[in-house]
Amino acid sequence: MKRDERVFLYGEDVADYGGLYQVTEGLRDEIGEDRVFDTPLSETTLGGTAVGAALTGTRPVVEIMFGDFLSIIADHLINYAAKMHFNYSDDTSVPLVVRTTYGAGDQFGLHHSQDPISWFQNVPGLKMIAPSTPADYKGLLKSAVRDDDPVIFFENKQRYDLSGEVPDGDHTVPIGEADIKRSGKDMTIVAIGGMVDVALDAAESLANQGYDCEVIDPRTVMPLDKETIIESVKKTHALTVVHEAARFGGIGGEIASEVADEALFYLDAPVKRVGAPFTPVPFAENLEQMYLPGAQDVETAVIDALE
Amino acid sequence: MVAPEERKDLHENLLLNRLFEEKVLEVYEDSGIPELPHLSLGQEAVGVGTVFALEEDDWLAPSLRTRAVTLMRLSLRDVVTGMFGTESGPTEGRTTQHHLGSSEANIMGTTGMIGSHLNVAAGAGLTAQQLGEDRVTAVFFGDGAATRGEFHTALNFAAVEDLPVIFVLENNQWIEETRALDVIAAEENISEMSGHNLPKEVIDGQDVDEVLNTVSEAAERARSGDGPTLIEAKTYRYRPHAEVIPERRDEDEIAEWKERDPVELHRDYLLDNAIVDEDWLESTRDSLMEDIEDAFEFAEEDSLPDEEAMYKVYKDTDVDMYGGVR
Repeated sequence: MKRDERVFLYGEDVADYGGLYQVTEGLRDEIGEDRVFDTPLSETTLGGTAVGAALTGTRPVVEIMFGDFLSIIADHLINYAAKMHFNYSDDTSVPLVVRTTYGAGDQFGLHHSQDPISWFQNVPGLKMIAPSTPADYKGLLKSAVRDDDPVIFFENKQRYDLSGEVPDGDHTVPIGEADIKRSGKDMTIVAIGGMVDVALDAAESLANQGYDCEVIDPRTVMPLDKETIIESVKKTHALTVVHEAARFGGIGGEIASEVADEALFYLDAPVKRVGAPFTPVPFAENLEQMYLPGAQDVETAVIDALE
Repeated sequence: MVAPEERKDLHENLLLNRLFEEKVLEVYEDSGIPELPHLSLGQEAVGVGTVFALEEDDWLAPSLRTRAVTLMRLSLRDVVTGMFGTESGPTEGRTTQHHLGSSEANIMGTTGMIGSHLNVAAGAGLTAQQLGEDRVTAVFFGDGAATRGEFHTALNFAAVEDLPVIFVLENNQWIEETRALDVIAAEENISEMSGHNLPKEVIDGQDVDEVLNTVSEAAERARSGDGPTLIEAKTYRYRPHAEVIPERRDEDEIAEWKERDPVELHRDYLLDNAIVDEDWLESTRDSLMEDIEDAFEFAEEDSLPDEEAMYKVYKDTDVDMYGGVR
């Protein structure tokens, strides 16, 4: 925001209160009340005005408090943001960033806990980012703000208290480049967002059991760096995909299909998908924990595939 | 107020809109047009008057029936090739003339979701405010769109943030084939539904002067930081919602509205005040018709676009059709 005066940030409770998760705490004092401000409780207004502002020369960053509420701005994201570059006679695009939180684990119930990434994976024109580390959060958020296309930036609620090294200064991470978090030769595990930590925990445990897993964090779901995934599968000859959304219809199926298309004969094991069951996120503590994919689920899937 | 020397220009635009729509109907019925016509016949004064009242760098967000926006901001060839989806068209066949956007012409792109452009137009107002630009945005929509949450949320936000936006409600009395007041909880005016704290004007949409003056005042308020205005222009469309829908409205009702035809009202004003004579009207009409015919001939001869035209999805990233990075 200091670098580019066209960037402004708004949303419900983001200015005075600093955001429900305090992500924007202090920002209004630092940047000014004209560029960091609170809005009515209307995602329709947030989605629509962000598109309109982005189309006409600014770079809005809008916060949608819970990813579940993306359903309300789905019209503006799907029919507007994703399609205007296509729909214009010139080079106009929609450089907006929608920051949102997602994921279960807080007993917030079925409408404040979903992973909505798959809702948008079939929409040409959108970009989707789900960082898993503090450094990537910084680097990818900067890239998202500077990008000329509409970006949905998914922040996993369970990872806000994660700490880690964050490079100083103008640290950016390119959109569309996966990160190999752990190198291994027996199994490629592709994990999305908050599931990266889960996959790394599983990989540690699996290493003790004699399975050497490579863990890949795509970081960007759309565009997807499929080359890194396919190269890895050609080396390990096996694939497990992990995401928080329901296993059926998730991005994992798409990754598996890409591998089947381009590296089927490198595979020595069935492809495994780890995700939530096909049910809404339950409220009760034990049910929610059963619902959430965990390290044990990943371990079971990997061993199942390799044995 | 319209200066006398601008009167001819204003009338040319009204006439262009009228003659163009009549030609569209003729060609559509005769040999077909790929873009299903949603004609503005009868409503010309609202679009023409509004665009005429604003500056070239003001943003316009049309409804799909506000033909005046594309006719007054693009070339005739662009409008017609846009309707035919041919390779010389402004978007090379990617989208229809109804919804296309052009930052060069300050036309905001829209979608087929009626009313979803209301908050988008408010967003253009945010840009003007953020960048300190002296530009206003006019957004056109019908009585149907006013029943959506978009209407209420956009008016609330624009009013509370004092955004430089003019909401032009073209009340043509009918939501597709349903009478608006049968499904809207209002006594007489659609704008009764808005309890928001902003100026509201209910005007005669058939009187281009009334449109123009009301929009000019709203634009002045917007430019001086006094925020948005809601203008409800009472008007009427002579044709069905779309040309594929059979007419089932009362013939007498249509005839009654035609007695106050917006183009004829302004023509009479010009003749009564000796601003033009019959010869001027005839030669203007002939010259406009020549341009319109030329644009249709051009579009009808034009080729369909090459495949490459449809791969314009991302500006910043070279993404292949299957989602991977190239």
